Amino acid sequence: MTQRTIVNGMTLNELESLLVDRIKSCSNSYYLALLICALIMLAGSAAGLMATVGGHHIYYNVSRELTWGVLISTYIYFVVTSTGLCLVSSIGHIFGVESFVPLAKRAVFLAIVTLCAGFFVISAEIKVPIRMMLYNIISPNLTSNIWWMGTLYGVALMVMILEFAFLYLRKYRLAVVCGFIAVIGEVAANSNLAGVFGLLNGRDFWHGAYLPIFFIASAVMTGAAVLIFFHVLAYRLRGESMNETMAKAMNACCKVAILGICIVSFFTVWRMVALLAGEPGGAYLGAMALIRGPYAVNFWVFEIGLALVLPLILFICSRGTDLRLMFVGSALMIVGLFFMRYNMVIVGQAVPVYYSLGVNEARGLIEYFPSYLEILVTLGGFGLTGCLFLLGEKIFDGHKVDSHHH
Amino acid sequence: MTALKFDNLKNEGIENLPDRQRRNFLKLGFAITGVFAGGTILAVTSSVRRSFASSGDFLAQYPYKPHYGMLIRQDRCIDCERCKQACAKTNHVPAYGYRTDILERVRPDAEGQQREFIPVLCNHCNLPQCVRVCPTRATYKDRRNGIVMMNPKKCIGCLTCQMACPYNARYFNEEKMAVDKCDFCWEARLDRGGKLTACAAACPAQARIFGDLSRDDDPVHRVVHQIGRTVWVLRPEAGTKPNVFYTRG
Amino acid sequence: MRLFFICLICGLVLLIAGPGFAEDVDHGGDIHFKQPVVGVLFSHTLHVEELGLECDSCHEGLFAYEAGTAEAKDDFTMKSLAEGNYCGACHDGSTAFSSETRCAVCHEGVKGYKRALGLINAPEHDRK
Repeated sequence: MTQRTIVNGMTLNELESLLVDRIKSCSNSYYLALLICALIMLAGSAAGLMATVGGHHIYYNVSRELTWGVLISTYIYFVVTSTGLCLVSSIGHIFGVESFVPLAKRAVFLAIVTLCAGFFVISAEIKVPIRMMLYNIISPNLTSNIWWMGTLYGVALMVMILEFAFLYLRKYRLAVVCGFIAVIGEVAANSNLAGVFGLLNGRDFWHGAYLPIFFIASAVMTGAAVLIFFHVLAYRLRGESMNETMAKAMNACCKVAILGICIVSFFTVWRMVALLAGEPGGAYLGAMALIRGPYAVNFWVFEIGLALVLPLILFICSRGTDLRLMFVGSALMIVGLFFMRYNMVIVGQAVPVYYSLGVNEARGLIEYFPSYLEILVTLGGFGLTGCLFLLGEKIFDGHKVDSHHH
Repeated sequence: MTALKFDNLKNEGIENLPDRQRRNFLKLGFAITGVFAGGTILAVTSSVRRSFASSGDFLAQYPYKPHYGMLIRQDRCIDCERCKQACAKTNHVPAYGYRTDILERVRPDAEGQQREFIPVLCNHCNLPQCVRVCPTRATYKDRRNGIVMMNPKKCIGCLTCQMACPYNARYFNEEKMAVDKCDFCWEARLDRGGKLTACAAACPAQARIFGDLSRDDDPVHRVVHQIGRTVWVLRPEAGTKPNVFYTRG
Repeated sequence: MRLFFICLICGLVLLIAGPGFAEDVDHGGDIHFKQPVVGVLFSHTLHVEELGLECDSCHEGLFAYEAGTAEAKDDFTMKSLAEGNYCGACHDGSTAFSSETRCAVCHEGVKGYKRALGLINAPEHDRK
């Protein structure tokens, strides 16, 4: 118990030696994993820096017509995950559902980490990030979804860092206030992110009010899966077995994940039906690209198979208790969801804006495949997540939960 | 100008245009139009009527003075691309980008003529999606003239405007480190006393007519305001109320 | 002796293939004008083979046999065509459609010109 009083009355030296001890007391495989993650992150940073300095048009495969590539879809992947983590954890420590309480600290930590990973990836996609820092503040456009999205996620990040600090300082009331603000911020940011796509009248594949709802539903499902994945991983890492409360929390997570998958599946089915029925313009072309076009593998194997069907089966079979099945299911989801975001972003743009005009220049889908540098930056985001997760486990000693939380 | 006055306007047809070939075009018109129009015209006609028929509320749709617009006489374009060259030269557009482009439509089963060239550029929409989505107001609707402008200093290069534009009118200029687009030659010509855009001036076939929609004696205004003439806009379903109009003949 | 046979065979091949080869260049093929504006296609195949015009319908009264001669002249313009010169001799609205109509039938544009030169692909292969 003395270890968890690090911030309460310890000198800086004591704190330092404690942290060094914690970092030192790890297995070789931990160091190896940390090293690999750090190297991937460094490679990704180098790739992003190289592209930003040398010019995105040289190193990235995006074009005038297909403007947003894998980096935007990866950004979405990470920030939606962050929203999901924030949402699922809030069930416990904001809204007081007991079984979710043990997840709070690690969930908040992971929400911060995935948001950082998102910002890491998008910083390599924004062409003039320096101007962004200045003009986002002094020349805001309140009708711009992307301004709200960026600003709210920025605020949410700050607030979640405060929340995390308060959790460790045992200032629970403040933590709850921060957590509440963070959830609102994250949900608003997330739906604005969906609005970036959903409000574009000129893009049939995205346009509509369902996207924000879809984003929230898929955030919940993502959050639950990521919580299962990292909790099982963390316990394996520490060589401990879960106690009863944690096992209960995993069970609850599993239920949320199943519910999320069901909602998202429902949405996916109806969205595809809506894109097919009556063959609406460019949207139909996009839908067919997913169903039996160049994105069919992405869609059927990854988006439907790995993100929805297989995890659903595995989660149901696990009955919320078989951690191995749940771990595999959540791991599959983490992979599949990446493709779900990718499909949404890329296919929406692959339909040329002049498709309905029937001109030679816009006959079919615009082709895109990420360049090596884009893939490296993407992997860098995962490296960063892995790195911070591993460090967090040691520095914060497994995000142990205080028994007297509520 | 009032709606009443507009209704009393004499329909002078296309006679106003300095165009010797109009009658031949008209004769040909219907035969080809029916085939060429495909879904596009049929789909837009209703929306054009709604927005641009001579009703009172329509007049309120030219909020700028001048309210610049362009009429593309689509069947006159021959893809000589002098407009593209003039645009690039006037506005220092790099080789990898363009502010205006020409699209090619081929209908092998059409009568008489199977090919058609369609010039495209920024439509300087009344409800520009690019302006709505720009996080830093780097692109804006100029209150003086309705031109959708860029302030390159504020552009962060998020390219959301490129995504939002239903007309593919924007590209990222690596030299300016900002998104670049057509400004109706405001910076290069109009603001310096010029009367025409470079593309309209360079067109050997008067396929591009540049004008001020807020003036009822303006050639673009006159053509757009003929009930009997089929005038359409591209991608009306995007709802951006463009100021670039298309017609034939 | 061997050399003789080779020569003989070559001669025979030329004799047989010659006329066939000559038939292909019986007319001037596709002429792609690029003056005064880029991209006007005149198809000899269409005018000679399908429409059955004789060489002397145009040569040398309206156009010299040598390609590029008309293009080099200052009066090779639409205005001149409307006055009945060059293509306008037939494309007057009665013999054939008027040169003042159906612009893009003959004007293939920069796109068509580039395609003819093999600089860009045919439209069908532009994108999938």
